[in-house]
Amino acid sequence: MIAMTKRSILIHPDPRLKTVAASVTSVDKDLRALADDMLETMYEAPGIGLAAPQVGIMQRLFVMDCIKDDMETPQPMVLINPRVIASSAETNIYDEGCLSIPDQYAEVERPAVVKVEWMDIDGKTVQEEFDGLWATCVQHEIDHLDGKLFIDYLKPLKRQMITRKMQKLKRELARG
Amino acid sequence: MVERSVRMWPDPVLSQNCTAVDPIGASALIDDLLDTMYEANGRGLAAPQIGTLARVFVVDVTWKEGTRDPRVFINPEVLSAGDDIVTMDEQCLSIPDLPMPVRRPENIHLRWSTRDGQTQTANFDGILARCIQHELDHLNGTVILDHQSPEDRARLEASYAS
Repeated sequence: MIAMTKRSILIHPDPRLKTVAASVTSVDKDLRALADDMLETMYEAPGIGLAAPQVGIMQRLFVMDCIKDDMETPQPMVLINPRVIASSAETNIYDEGCLSIPDQYAEVERPAVVKVEWMDIDGKTVQEEFDGLWATCVQHEIDHLDGKLFIDYLKPLKRQMITRKMQKLKRELARG
Repeated sequence: MVERSVRMWPDPVLSQNCTAVDPIGASALIDDLLDTMYEANGRGLAAPQIGTLARVFVVDVTWKEGTRDPRVFINPEVLSAGDDIVTMDEQCLSIPDLPMPVRRPENIHLRWSTRDGQTQTANFDGILARCIQHELDHLNGTVILDHQSPEDRARLEASYAS
């Protein structure tokens, strides 16, 4: 029996969300269990991407599924040690949000198309080109592995405003 | 990463006319609308606000005070409106943090289809009449900014953008 467990998601500000994660050295049973938990946590949230540091695991992997239509087949992906190997000059602006920064959204400009190389859950090296929402999501998640959040692209005033709201939210959550 | 569940103005989907739907096939959409409305802390939500150009909206004007009273309106039509016009501040989930005054009839006589395809008519007044007219506007591609004078609208749009 496979028991999947929902993990709790760290809320910004948290030092772990500002830390560069370490490369995964081997794909084993524990890592597969972690990936399953992360997918479960992401779908439950619901979100379209979730990086390991967001659940307090400082390793370079994330999960994503950008299929939002309930009628379409889900497309869960696990990307281990991902890196962007080529990006388009053309950019895209998307209204991004983050599971670690609940209910806050802002426009972020990123390359419209990226080619990414990663290791899949079987330990195989894979390359794929992403565009549209998938491209935005891949870059947003890789940023998490480098300790970077989407609000780091915003003007300081807006970023500070969001950070203050999150500090308030965390105090409220702590009070229960 | 997370996607917004509610479309934000000026998303073009909020400026289009919605098409009539068969109530019998609309139940997944209705459930989505109700879930999203409660999750977003709203009193009403129209299908285009979640990206579907269908003549469907939901309202619940009492749940914030403790009692849930979800109401579903499919293919609604205002048959007549009262002569009393009232101005009240309204908010829209698609235009966050920007309340603005809107003039609307105090009473309306409405016809609509229920979830199971029954045609109903009823009179509405007060906050429910206001909510219904706000949501019905969405089905015609109209938002509360469209009710403002050009000067007020320019000022509101400027503060929305900042």
